[in-house]
Amino acid sequence: MPFIRSTAASNFVAGMSGTIDRFTNENLAGKLLDIGVRPGSRLRIVRKGPFGGSWYVKIDRHCVALRKQELACIMIK
Amino acid sequence: MHNDQINAAPVVGLVGNPNSGKSSLFNLLTGLRQRIGNFPGVTVEKKSGILKIGDLPPVELVDFPGAYSCYPTSLDERLVVQELTNPEGDLFPDAILYVADVTKLDKHLLLFTQLRDLDLPMILVLNMADMIGENGLQVDVAQLSKKLAVPVIPVSAREGRGVEELKKAIENLLRNPKAYRPEEPFYEPGALARDVLADLRQELPARNDYHALLLTHHASWLRHIPEQLRHKVQNARVKNGFHSLRAQVEETMERYDAFEPIVQDTVRYAGDKASASDRADGILTHRIFGPIIFVGLMLLLFQALFAWASLPMDGIEWFFEHMGTAVRENLAAGWLTDLLVDGIIAGLGGVLVFVPQIAILFLFISILEEVGYMARAAYMFDSMMQRFGLNGRSVVALISGHACAIPAIMSTRTIANWKERLLTILVTPLTSCSARIPVYVILISFAVPEETFWGFGYQGLAFAGLYFLGIISAMLSALVFKLVLKTSERSFLMLEMPDYRTPVWRNVVVTVWQKVKTFMVEAGKIILLISIVLWALSTYGPTGAMEEAGVITQQLTEEQNLDEAEAANLLASERLEASYAGHVGKFIEPVIRPLGYDWKIGIALFTSFAAREVFVGTMATIYSVGSADDELRIRDRMAEEINPRTGQPVYNQATSWSLLVFYVFAMMCMSTLAVTKRETGGWKWPIIQFTFMTALAYVSAMVVYQVLA
Repeated sequence: MPFIRSTAASNFVAGMSGTIDRFTNENLAGKLLDIGVRPGSRLRIVRKGPFGGSWYVKIDRHCVALRKQELACIMIK
Repeated sequence: MHNDQINAAPVVGLVGNPNSGKSSLFNLLTGLRQRIGNFPGVTVEKKSGILKIGDLPPVELVDFPGAYSCYPTSLDERLVVQELTNPEGDLFPDAILYVADVTKLDKHLLLFTQLRDLDLPMILVLNMADMIGENGLQVDVAQLSKKLAVPVIPVSAREGRGVEELKKAIENLLRNPKAYRPEEPFYEPGALARDVLADLRQELPARNDYHALLLTHHASWLRHIPEQLRHKVQNARVKNGFHSLRAQVEETMERYDAFEPIVQDTVRYAGDKASASDRADGILTHRIFGPIIFVGLMLLLFQALFAWASLPMDGIEWFFEHMGTAVRENLAAGWLTDLLVDGIIAGLGGVLVFVPQIAILFLFISILEEVGYMARAAYMFDSMMQRFGLNGRSVVALISGHACAIPAIMSTRTIANWKERLLTILVTPLTSCSARIPVYVILISFAVPEETFWGFGYQGLAFAGLYFLGIISAMLSALVFKLVLKTSERSFLMLEMPDYRTPVWRNVVVTVWQKVKTFMVEAGKIILLISIVLWALSTYGPTGAMEEAGVITQQLTEEQNLDEAEAANLLASERLEASYAGHVGKFIEPVIRPLGYDWKIGIALFTSFAAREVFVGTMATIYSVGSADDELRIRDRMAEEINPRTGQPVYNQATSWSLLVFYVFAMMCMSTLAVTKRETGGWKWPIIQFTFMTALAYVSAMVVYQVLA
């Protein structure tokens, strides 16, 4: 699914994917970088959590659980 | 500093990302010969073991907590930075075994490059080597070793492969630590850090620029940085406009750029096909089926807990009962024999009888953890937990709490947010731990008739209801604390979900053994002590009082023509009333009367505050039944007990329910309070925990009694 401008990953629905462009929150960026989420990584939303709020996300080949506000600081191009 | 001579007691640190299989490797290398202590000054559990390699002096292998980078967010991670930036510390390793999961090398090398830039002698251990060759995963080990300039050893902790090669590499490195000095760093402090470093480089006790940079970042909490130096660092940071977070992001990005090409050149990954793990998650973390499967698993777990534990528990009870009898028969009657049988043996039996349940519960929990399911549970329940002020990771503690709150509280260290961690610690003891089981069993038989409703026994339903009451009250208490406590600290989920794997049984065995040992030692000490004290308090009394009890008994025996057995029972109960324990019971009776309790229950309550499992033992002592281990006999004696004021049985429905509710809520475990103190670093929180739980217990029990009576 092509995106012309970058958009926050929290706007995505399950099944959508893209490449990470940059982070908009330094605090979360440090932590995301630590666990291997970085600009250039491929991000795919796999599914939404049972009670909302958290998302099952695939970053490159690895599965990670992220909250909505964590996704909101990830810009996808 | 390192010199060419081998240290007389070399320390090798095991470091790596969480989920790198670091603990698996540690278990493989040390087995059950592990020592568990605390890292100096902090509450993080330190695991170490001795490694024998060739003719080297014994090597101490220290298992450092898992960490992602030198920019820690949790207590566990801080410790790694703390010890590895302090060359003067006792735990500063002579060499590091850096464990990386070979399937995740593109992420796991971040911390590696940071430690490498600290100029530490290192070996890169490629764990999960059994995955090489599967699905097209290929690794050029020789090339990787050349480019990273360290020895690289593929190991499979799962299959036990590569251990000899690893030991050989450790020996070589310890004998010749300078052989692999880095030629150039992966990262040179960049523009954002240059000015502040220029000011501080000479002031800081640093081995190189990167070491100085880390000290600049973390001086405010590193224990080996003196107060005065902290001020200097802070002033230099302000003066040069050093932005810690920004510098961290810059550094991390540069590091990825430095090692990514190396990984690309040497490792070929399998394609991005949906794996078996992904397909399993399609169901196991499904929005609807996921939570249903979780609940099903938990029901199965508790079913198994009761079904499997009953046989070994009966065995343990039988053993201690016979041991007590044997000791009594073979030793001369006297106070020493009484103390041995009624105090020590009964007390030990009271502790050990819980071991099967704790072992089975932790067997399940560690299997779920090993397989990778716990991370999924944390993911599924995170948003629900957040509403109550907890974190998805709290699920693990709340489940473990049903076995024993002590290890459950210790498992909260992975929660980075202090408030979420604190709330989890505070409410976990409300979940019904296995020590409550014997109390529930004996009281439910008074509170609930032995009838069935559509095939379900009322007593079984009541049992399930008490567990439910525990977990519900834990969640609601968390909610209250959430509203009271304020924090500006950020909360994270950011949870890795590793691929499902079959459990490594060695890890399961080691975990279960360690948890059981912790329980036996922590709880055992206190219960044993209390049993002895209780025995003394109920055997002795103020001068004259005990003799008087004897005289009264004799009078009554003659007046009422009692036979020998009745006279003995009467004597026992008269003596109890005259003893110190009786005085304590009488003293607190006015406070507990609104709850429907008499002074004898008061004694049981009083002793239960040390450890709730002594309830049954105390009942046995109070109702002077020879052995504490036969619930049926204690039950019969309790059923015969008549309230002298009302003429009704003491253990009627109202009193029994009131006691049950009291035991669900009350904080009756000194070991748990001690752990809470250790984990929260002071007396404030254990006191709050004790007060709120006990107040909750008192008020609820009073309401229950007043409504039912």
